[in-house]
Amino acid sequence: MWKNFLKYLVGRLLVCLVVIFIGTTITFLIPRIIPGANPAEVAVRRLQMAGTYLPPESAERMRQALLKLYGLEGTIFEQYIRYWREFLRGNLGPSFASFPTPVLVLISRSIPWTVGLLALTTVISWLVGTILGGIAGYKNRGLWMKIFEVFSNAVRPIPYYILALLLLILFAYVLKWFPTGGAYRIGMNPSFTWSYISSVIKHGFLPALSLILIGVGGWFLNMRNLVSNVSHEDFVVFASHMNLKEDIVFRSYVMKGALPPQITGLALQLGMIFNGTIITEIVFNYPGLGMLIYTAIMQADFNLVMGITLFSIIAVAVATFLIDLTLPLVDPRIQYTGK
Amino acid sequence: MLSFLAVFTAFAQEALPGIPRNEVIIIEDPSGRSLNPGRFNIWGGGVTSWSTGLQQLCLASLWYIDPDQGIEGDPWINLLAAEPPIYSDNYKKMTVKLRKGIYWSDGVPFTADDVVFTVQTLKANPAMTWGAYMEVNVDKVYKTDDYTVVFELKKPNGRFHSIFTVRWAACYIMPKHIFEKVKDPIAFDFNPPVGTGPYVLKAYDPNGYWFLWELRSDWERSDLGVAFKTKPGPKYVLYKGVASPEKKVMDQMAHELDIIHDLPPEGAITLAQTNPYCVTWFDGWPWAHPDPTLPSIIMNHERYPYNLKEVRWALTLAIDIVQVVLQSYNGCATISPIHIPPTGKYPEWYFDKIEGWLKNFTIKVGNKEFKPYDPEIPQKIANAVKYAFGYKVPDDPNVLKKMIGYGWWKYAPDVAEELLKSVGFTKKGGKWYLPDGKPWKINILCEAATRSVMTRAAVAIAEQWRKFGIDAQIEAVEPSMLWQRMNYGEDPDTVYWAWCIETWGGHPDLFWFLESWHSEYYRPTGQAVVAKNPMRYKSERIDKVIEELRKTDFFKEINKLIDLGIEYVKICVEDMPIIPLFSYNVFTVCDGYYWTGYPTAKDPYTNPVPNWANTRFMFIKLKPTGRK
Repeated sequence: MWKNFLKYLVGRLLVCLVVIFIGTTITFLIPRIIPGANPAEVAVRRLQMAGTYLPPESAERMRQALLKLYGLEGTIFEQYIRYWREFLRGNLGPSFASFPTPVLVLISRSIPWTVGLLALTTVISWLVGTILGGIAGYKNRGLWMKIFEVFSNAVRPIPYYILALLLLILFAYVLKWFPTGGAYRIGMNPSFTWSYISSVIKHGFLPALSLILIGVGGWFLNMRNLVSNVSHEDFVVFASHMNLKEDIVFRSYVMKGALPPQITGLALQLGMIFNGTIITEIVFNYPGLGMLIYTAIMQADFNLVMGITLFSIIAVAVATFLIDLTLPLVDPRIQYTGK
Repeated sequence: MLSFLAVFTAFAQEALPGIPRNEVIIIEDPSGRSLNPGRFNIWGGGVTSWSTGLQQLCLASLWYIDPDQGIEGDPWINLLAAEPPIYSDNYKKMTVKLRKGIYWSDGVPFTADDVVFTVQTLKANPAMTWGAYMEVNVDKVYKTDDYTVVFELKKPNGRFHSIFTVRWAACYIMPKHIFEKVKDPIAFDFNPPVGTGPYVLKAYDPNGYWFLWELRSDWERSDLGVAFKTKPGPKYVLYKGVASPEKKVMDQMAHELDIIHDLPPEGAITLAQTNPYCVTWFDGWPWAHPDPTLPSIIMNHERYPYNLKEVRWALTLAIDIVQVVLQSYNGCATISPIHIPPTGKYPEWYFDKIEGWLKNFTIKVGNKEFKPYDPEIPQKIANAVKYAFGYKVPDDPNVLKKMIGYGWWKYAPDVAEELLKSVGFTKKGGKWYLPDGKPWKINILCEAATRSVMTRAAVAIAEQWRKFGIDAQIEAVEPSMLWQRMNYGEDPDTVYWAWCIETWGGHPDLFWFLESWHSEYYRPTGQAVVAKNPMRYKSERIDKVIEELRKTDFFKEINKLIDLGIEYVKICVEDMPIIPLFSYNVFTVCDGYYWTGYPTAKDPYTNPVPNWANTRFMFIKLKPTGRK
């Protein structure tokens, strides 16, 4: 048993590491092989686009100087080796657009907001959607369940931007219950005080509500369909014929049997939160990784793109690894032999 | 949608803690979010937003050229300098006299040492912003007394002062007493910033959404205080990033955003029609402020068939400008048939002088001469706007000219057809074919989302060309992608809808953008263009104009500069290297609920567009309305 588990664990861990290695290599290569995506060139162009006087000779000289400053001299292979060397020392390098601020500093400023908001809203939507979907799929009765189903079906097709804007208009501008944007009140200094924490909660409420409303419907409908199918499986029918209590059949047979795809979905979605939610950030002026990665791509900020993507790759790989480890605990049909 | 928002959002409020609303002016930072908010070292790079007040309120340069009339009626403004630069006869030396009595915000006097130190630091670090320019141009820099700086240049350059003359931005002067203590001038964050401007940074959002500035208690010793002896109106200035246009409208309806940087036309018009306190550049149609920037169809001359003048002219005559203006700008564009933006004082310097020539200008079509210029276009636009949108338009054609431009090229698809046939194109079944028999396809690469008017204009142009028989489509991409691809010019069958002509607005010299059109800076397709010649245009006649401009004094030979500018315009009209359409009109919308004194077309003392450093002068004109 333990031998099997250990073999399984090492195998999965190796797969996880290979995924991270391949993902990192691809992310390293893609921006470098796009024609013209040269950070020094982009920096010069950004100045010129903004209307800064940069006559021809000076523009060329600046381009050369920036290439040297950014450490982008040498072949792609040399840069690649340099990248891994620095990465293993825990250094992701400087951001080019925000030079010389280190990539890790920029990411660390945004990551708490993204993780705080998205982890919380993903888990809440998952819990609400999964529980209610399970009940709706198994018992399939009750006025509230029907209302919730109609609500889920109605909210899901609304484009997120419109939904977020409607919430903002209603709760921030008409009812004035919540602020119009930001992560906390303008003029406030971040600190461990109740006034700051309450301001963060108040400012985070509408973005969180918008994400939960748009997310819960999907989990609900998925779970309802899963439970409807599982309810007709032989082991559930058998349990019912054994005269087990309905609640026990529901919790221990139906829900347990239907959960694995939902858990997989949750883990993958949690892994994906490092991509941020750019629309939430735009509508609610909320800080996060979405705007950071968007700007990084637009400005050919290779190091920053690499940094954020690396977090995402590691998170998805680790999430997949954890799913592989935990699913056998939830569903006895899955074993550590990998079968 | 925007009208709906306006109705429902009238009175929402969120005040700044401890600061009365009527003491703070809230201005949009169009960058949205500054990703590196704690960095203020504008020379070292890595400052991700230049619209946070740093270049508007804190740092300063020697001179400013206002794109409009200028705060005292002269667009040339001496700010840190006491007078314009003094060049030696051979333009190898520039002497600058500095203003006395200006102090940095930390109480240290501003002197020639600061200017010398700035230039020496930049010259030693070419990777710094403006560093390469100093390295390329400056041989020596030294002071002769505490308020006189001498620049010895490596080669004659009568435009050297341009680097210290703000048009949107310029090289700012760094405080020597701060930077001389720093080991690495690039790595240093310069936080908090110390400037000669009238405001100091009070607080900023570590997440980059807002920056709050406070009026210096010794504002009389700031650059504005010494130069104009007038106290700025707002005690506080808050720059705030607001990314969504709907939110900007809602915030201004709630009087929580005093200056919106730019909006899609319908957003600005909604505000103008529903907010009784709304202030726009024109008090009615066409509302927007024309920037000295000229969006144009840019064609790579190294790509067939755009190397042919007949093709470029045919494409021009296949555009119905009235329709493009209606579809893109709701009729609020300021059109230009020539390769100069129709803004600031350019109508007087160039348009008035060239219009007679334009009316008589002909192009050869077969054996006939065709006069392509149509001076009636502004009237046609006004009529269409009146009919389509019901806006009130002036009857006086001269007033109309000042608002939306002088004229444009005739919509003449029949002439365009003849031009194309003369170079071997054929038309079958209403579709155009290249001389080799392949269908003529054009992909218009344009901006997406960020500037909706640009995307809409591209759609309108593509529609016109399709109607004419060309297989034209648009491809909307993010601005940086557009500029990147345009600069390399490698996209097949593609023209670019962007700009490469930008001018001072308040000075007739065109050297600022035109220098890089000289063939010595020409770069072939596949190599990044050096500056403003993405069309890869090469003309011996233009080279001669540029060479003459180099020899012409920026200050003493204004008439010659204008004559050379007119010569440039004539060459461009004949060759049509790019197709100019209209200036980039910015829908900057101000709210007069708490503040009054905004610049407008009636009192055009400066550019109201808040990301321009020139808006610095607005603060001494702004006064509270007294509302609380």
